[in-house]
Amino acid sequence: MTSILFIFSGAPHTSLNAQEGLDALLMGSAFTDCRLLLLGQGVLQLRNNQEAERIGRKNYTPGFAALADYGVSGIACRRSDLETWHLSVEQLSLDVQVLEDKDCRAWLDEADRVLTFR
Amino acid sequence: MILHTINKPSALALCEHLIADDDLVVLIEEGVYLASGTLPGRCYALEMDVLARGLADSVSNTRLIDYDTFVELSTEAAKVCAWF
Amino acid sequence: MKFAIIVQGSPYASQSCHSALLFADAVVRAGHELTRVFFYHDGVLVANRLIAPPQDEQDISLAWQTFAEAHRVELVACIASCLRRGILDETEASRYGRDASSLAPGFIISGLGQLVDATMNADRVVTFGA
Repeated sequence: MTSILFIFSGAPHTSLNAQEGLDALLMGSAFTDCRLLLLGQGVLQLRNNQEAERIGRKNYTPGFAALADYGVSGIACRRSDLETWHLSVEQLSLDVQVLEDKDCRAWLDEADRVLTFR
Repeated sequence: MILHTINKPSALALCEHLIADDDLVVLIEEGVYLASGTLPGRCYALEMDVLARGLADSVSNTRLIDYDTFVELSTEAAKVCAWF
Repeated sequence: MKFAIIVQGSPYASQSCHSALLFADAVVRAGHELTRVFFYHDGVLVANRLIAPPQDEQDISLAWQTFAEAHRVELVACIASCLRRGILDETEASRYGRDASSLAPGFIISGLGQLVDATMNADRVVTFGA
């Protein structure tokens, strides 16, 4: 089976790219083994208590919590990005793996294909 | 071995610690502004993008390539990761 | 070798449609098979039939159409991205009660299954982002 690593690197709500990326990830997980790695501002997608409706957007971010049910085999962010944005794991909307750079690299190596979105 | 494309300077922060020494790095679009600095991996820059931005005299450490070479390099790598 | 290309950037707010076309052209000239080009996010804006650039600028939409016709390459624009951005073929225009369609010739509108299929079945997937 061809495994796909999805990487999201953009913050939520300004653009809809992550919302559309999430759709692609859900579609991918229906066919094959998929993982999601949130890098850079991507980790901000997981910030809890988001109220996107206040700026006229649909809040799609609860969709991240459903990924495990769709068979997405791993969801992770990077420790250095949490530090950059002064985030603790308690401030995230779901339990994710927190990876060091070398673990992120291992995820890149283990995937057959890598799709990036921001 | 992975080929990484970088299309803007700010994208370097996403990937610089994920690039192995024998990986290929291809600077495209505004990513060519990184060509004058120090980068991980084996670094190339698209000549067209370098010339378009007037950078011919500031890319001494980077090999300039055309799209044919870009395609060839992407066949040599196991996969291509785009950073943008 | 089989290649698939993903284009995510707007034709005028990014370089991705232009870079992807040059890469696509190099892929076919090298004798590789380009199985599909998938336009996603603002990349679908290049499939707008009503783009009318000044005469002294490259018509990037037309350039993609010409390329696709010459090399029989499938240009797929994501349906969800298209509907949000007003890129509709006749079927979608009729479905959503719009008074005109706007999809350029040479492009087809289809779903994300085409993205996943292209990703899994090509030997190399190359994304051009914004």
